[in-house]
Amino acid sequence: MKSRFFRLTIDLFVLLLGSLSLLAPFIFPKTTSPMVSQSSFPIMVSLIIILCLLILFIEAQTSLLDSKMIAFMGILIATNASLRFLENAIPGPGAISPVFFLIIISGYYFGSRIGFLMGVMTMFVSGLLTGGVGPWLPGQMISAGWVGQFSALLRPAIKKLNWQGKFGEIILLGIHGAIWGILYGVIMNLWYWPFIGALPGQGWLNDARLAINLQRYGVYYLSTSLLWDITRAVGNIVILVALTKPVLRIFDRFNRRFTFQFGFERER
Amino acid sequence: MKTTPAWILWFFTILIFLLSTRNPSYILFIIIGLFFVSFRLFKQKGRDNWIKQNLIFLSSIILASSAINSLFTHSGRTILFSFPQSWPLIGGIVTLESLVYGAINGLIISALFLLFNVLNLALSIKQLTRLIPRAFYPIAMIVTISLTFFPSINQRIREIREAQMIRGNPMKKISDWLPVLAPLLVSSLEKGLILSESMTSRGFFTSKPSHKTTFPVITMIIGAFSIFSGWILSLYSYSAYIYLPLYILGVTMIFLVLNRLGKAVKTTRYHQEELRKYDMLAIVIIILVILFLSLVSIYGNLTSLNYTPYPSLVFPNIELAPFLIPLLTLLPIMLNHHDKN
Amino acid sequence: MIKIKSLTFQYPGSTKPILRDLNLEINPGTLTLVTGASGSGKSTLLRCLNGLVPHFSGGIITGNIGVFGLDPINQGPEVMAADVGFVFQEPEAQFVYNNIEDEIAFALENAGIPYEEMHEKVSKIIEKLSLKDICDKNIQQISGGEKQLVAIASALVGGKKLLILDEPTSQLDPQTADNLLSVITKMKEGLGLTIIIAEHRLERLLPYTDNLLHLQSNSSLIFGRPREVFSQIDQVPPLIEIARKLQISPLPIKIEEFPQIQIEHQDSQNLHLSAEAGKSILSLSRVSAMIDQNVILKSVDFELRNGEILNILGHNGAGKTTLLRSILGLIPSSGQILLNGINIKMIDFHNIIEQVAYLPQNPNDLLFADTVMDELRITLKNHQMKMDRFDMEIFLEHFGLREKQDDYPRDLSIGERQRVALAAIMIVKPNLVLLDEPTRGLDYNAKLALSNLIKDWAHQGVAIILVTHDVEFAATLADRVIILENGQVIFNGHPISAFSKFQAYQTQTARLFPDRGWITPEDIRRK
Repeated sequence: MKSRFFRLTIDLFVLLLGSLSLLAPFIFPKTTSPMVSQSSFPIMVSLIIILCLLILFIEAQTSLLDSKMIAFMGILIATNASLRFLENAIPGPGAISPVFFLIIISGYYFGSRIGFLMGVMTMFVSGLLTGGVGPWLPGQMISAGWVGQFSALLRPAIKKLNWQGKFGEIILLGIHGAIWGILYGVIMNLWYWPFIGALPGQGWLNDARLAINLQRYGVYYLSTSLLWDITRAVGNIVILVALTKPVLRIFDRFNRRFTFQFGFERER
Repeated sequence: MKTTPAWILWFFTILIFLLSTRNPSYILFIIIGLFFVSFRLFKQKGRDNWIKQNLIFLSSIILASSAINSLFTHSGRTILFSFPQSWPLIGGIVTLESLVYGAINGLIISALFLLFNVLNLALSIKQLTRLIPRAFYPIAMIVTISLTFFPSINQRIREIREAQMIRGNPMKKISDWLPVLAPLLVSSLEKGLILSESMTSRGFFTSKPSHKTTFPVITMIIGAFSIFSGWILSLYSYSAYIYLPLYILGVTMIFLVLNRLGKAVKTTRYHQEELRKYDMLAIVIIILVILFLSLVSIYGNLTSLNYTPYPSLVFPNIELAPFLIPLLTLLPIMLNHHDKN
Repeated sequence: MIKIKSLTFQYPGSTKPILRDLNLEINPGTLTLVTGASGSGKSTLLRCLNGLVPHFSGGIITGNIGVFGLDPINQGPEVMAADVGFVFQEPEAQFVYNNIEDEIAFALENAGIPYEEMHEKVSKIIEKLSLKDICDKNIQQISGGEKQLVAIASALVGGKKLLILDEPTSQLDPQTADNLLSVITKMKEGLGLTIIIAEHRLERLLPYTDNLLHLQSNSSLIFGRPREVFSQIDQVPPLIEIARKLQISPLPIKIEEFPQIQIEHQDSQNLHLSAEAGKSILSLSRVSAMIDQNVILKSVDFELRNGEILNILGHNGAGKTTLLRSILGLIPSSGQILLNGINIKMIDFHNIIEQVAYLPQNPNDLLFADTVMDELRITLKNHQMKMDRFDMEIFLEHFGLREKQDDYPRDLSIGERQRVALAAIMIVKPNLVLLDEPTRGLDYNAKLALSNLIKDWAHQGVAIILVTHDVEFAATLADRVIILENGQVIFNGHPISAFSKFQAYQTQTARLFPDRGWITPEDIRRK
């Protein structure tokens, strides 16, 4: 119990710190030294997000990652990364990203730690594979990580409602997938915000009021990423509705067999 | 050729420089330099195509940010034309200064983009993976394993898909992909077990979950918070005597924790990179330049870094000391020229 | 020295122990071959020796094990790793790195050995196993046999006393398997190793085996010199089966030990008669195929009639799988392929798969449903066919799966899973079946069951193409044999010629009795 409480605290702290840094342009607009502020934003926000990731890594390493888990996660992430590249092969409009399906389901079934790692590492590994290590990576990693992490919250909710195995489970996961489909985009945009170089006008000016800043951000968001995010959300719903039940069953079976490793493959 | 430490130092120097100035001359020079470097590094086919694509992409970014900024910001003296004030957001004057400012933003983004591109070209995936600090050895292991298994999983997807197609699966709807996903997942999970057996049989061992996790994590948290507060305070012009110590405190705590965790990892590394002559030279040159620039900026009076087109447009000036860093962009090419290995 | 006393082990969640009160002593420097049916506990026993059982698997263990002075049960695999190396069955799933040298050094990295020492040890083992040529290649690019060599190197680096191998050749073809096994046997002398190896392919190892350990399905074991153990068990390699049949004593372990005996030459009584000329199901004329600008198949011709079992032999890379895929129309080919008289270029894929069934090399690729019955239903649905439950149960009976119709396919044994996959593809009653390496990983009983199924189908008129390396298995079934080399057909004829004249594909029987026209033990009739 104590360790769960501890973990929760850490998660909350990271969430708070992460959100504050991402929202900093809006919360702290009235800065008094313009040069310092403009240049410091991208660097500091990146640094703090990376620190958040590191904190959760350290926590996961000591509480979760033994050799079984490391191998298990390594392969699961490779699988998800393959699916990410498959997105060109799956028929459907625009940016249907099958990668979030596994992140959400793993987070839901195995817990917040694993969900978080799935999200973060899938982005990192596919970034490495495509030669796409870029300034967007920390933002991607933490957004995807939060998608996985928050999926774990559904577990107690569904248990309480006693919807396990029923259609309600799928609906809730679907809604969750839709919300996070959009939220992911929102967070990614917040991440880009300071990098876009603080476009005054489509950015923040030191003397701007919160309302105007938000307005400008709104325009920026609407014009760039809303369409993608909606497609992503819809894609998430479709995939979750179709595949949740069978995949959960696979996880169930595997969980049961987890302790009989060699039992069923060769010995009967 | 250069090895990881040299590239990383070079990379961060240019990165931080890029994020600390808005002087378009410097940035433009950096962009051109980066183009040359990536041209040199690009070994695959389709080099010219790549260059062309990048040029188009980056130009569009610059044009876009330029246009957008000029439409939404209404300051500056050189007025080009204006929209009626009543129009939301766009209403107001469109000035040359805001155009230039927007263009500068586009330049910075382009430079960042190119910089990371060069990094990807210069360092192999393996080298990039080895950058992960000791303290995160388990995470690095996960990354390594994913990279190793990725090709075979891709292959499996093809095989499974074919097998199911022959069985009559039309592969049209999303649910038709379950027959591919399910066996893939199961075989992946099973492979995971065998892999972990293989690793364990060769002595791979991470300490069992323990409650020693508390101390490092809390230290990290305090360190991170310290840096964050330092930053926020610096934004509000609190005295440097307050925020600098906070920075230092934070960084120190984090370093200490990572160092300690790193030492606890008993494994050694088989693959070592040798620092070669030219790499050492590169590192020395870069450090000298940084020192020189720091000295000049403390005692001299550098203005070029703080360039801004507002309130009215002036030509960006160039000073020697800061210009050394854009020159550093070309360092890889100059060294490669001499280093024939 | 390895000592096992009163070893009993039960997996968690299992109702009875899989190892029961085993006692055993193995001398250092010997090669022990472990055999037994699937499920008899071979893998479990092997894992007890390095601590994976019970530390990794959980479960309840009692008894004592001593391995060169170490205690695996209490000390666990991390400690045992210093003296014991373990090689697993699947080549691909054992590797952490992409680079061969790094992989070999992995064990040393974990032990925290300093850099200079590591380098020396890695070079040493690379030389011992002659891996220098492939050293700088990517692990993904080397063959299955080479991968297992790397796995062995990774397991042995740094000097180990015991090498344990769990069915290392089951995924390899006979040529590669032979190479691997001869490397292993050479190592025994060269490195003073004690070797314990579980295998189904007894023939190749027997000449070098010091001890044979046979695990019975009742959880007891028989241990001793090979000759003694064989006299007590039923499932034996062809060599010994023949020796028994002819009542030769002492039992010969190698071909060379088989005495020259006179056997009356009998009329070859209808051995391996070709099927009567039936309808032509498949006909290939001058078929060539390319993949990525490489010519894989060159002008292949043959014809297959209904009820015929055709065995296609060839080395890895000879084009066998490409041939199968061409027949299915998955890759473009020049020349003409007629399926039931119609050119496959004129029919669409949908129609082809109604007539042809394909069992992939890994039958697990097909299975994803919750029950065996559901797997059948899925294929039926894909082809828009219907069948009522009763008929489906009868169908499953044929495969010996009726009682398991509601089981989760992944829970079944390898042989059973293969039969589920077969049932799932045969339910649409195709008239041509393509089997791609179906004998991998199967034990004797499972192979027998498969063989019976194939014979049944042939009787019913189904044409069957059997791609396999297992010549002993194929010799009992094939009506005709085609040998592919570098994409060309170099032999198309009677199995007796194929399995006796070509050295690479000779069966043990043929080697014992050359020029007799005998290729399986059944061919030899007692007087």
